Amino acid sequence: MRTFGGLRRHPLLLATCLLGASGLVVLRVFDPAASGVFPPCPVRYLTGFYCPGCGSLRAIHALLHGDLRSAWAMNPFTVLVLPFLSYGLASEMLFALRGKGLPQVAMPANLIRALAVGIVLFGISRNLPLHPFDLLAPGALLHP
Amino acid sequence: MFCPQCGANNADTAVVCVQCGRSLQSNAPTPLPVTGVVQPPGAEVPNYLVFAVLVTVLCCLPTGIPAIIYAAQVNGKVQMGDLAGAKAASDNAKMWCWISFGVGIAGILLYVMLIVLGVVSGFRPR
Repeated sequence: MRTFGGLRRHPLLLATCLLGASGLVVLRVFDPAASGVFPPCPVRYLTGFYCPGCGSLRAIHALLHGDLRSAWAMNPFTVLVLPFLSYGLASEMLFALRGKGLPQVAMPANLIRALAVGIVLFGISRNLPLHPFDLLAPGALLHP
Repeated sequence: MFCPQCGANNADTAVVCVQCGRSLQSNAPTPLPVTGVVQPPGAEVPNYLVFAVLVTVLCCLPTGIPAIIYAAQVNGKVQMGDLAGAKAASDNAKMWCWISFGVGIAGILLYVMLIVLGVVSGFRPR
């Protein structure tokens, strides 16, 4: 029970894990598109533009129901990075618990810069009213 | 610091290794492991990339982008051997992650407050 003892020694980590788990449960039960449980994206709310993260909650909601197609339509970027993010978060958690994370490759700086540029371009292009790009808006692929 | 016996990462102030229990206090400076390196040099400078992408996706915030740029800087400087620069970039990445997280939480609280206000005023008798 080494891991459990470790969690007890890290109350903040335990709280974060519980909060994250309950967040996933709420996200599975309530549809962010239909219920008022989740706040709207502040960027969308204030400016009317889609941001790169718009649709991510709906995408994760769809994934929790095994609906990869809807998830991809809501936010393909989220679907792509989620496996890496989960691995990274698991690694961070293990690092806090036992001082050693999961094996990771050191990403070249330019690859990370390309990621940042890609996120910005994705955010811009999903607002364009031109045909191939408008499919990137949250949910557009479901109603072409 | 990394344990010279098992390679586990320990706090710099640790007396014994959390993993194998080997004493980490020695008067002579610990020699850098030359062969069988478990982690790449500079791996102890975190770049917070996971959190930077997470706040960008979940908090829908443009402030996540500088965090990612600083994360790139951390890796670039570690590769060039500039550990002090990497540490500075790491601190900046961490700061932008916390800013994004804070603004995101503030937005959620504001949303909850508006809903509560709406419910309360809706139920108030005229």
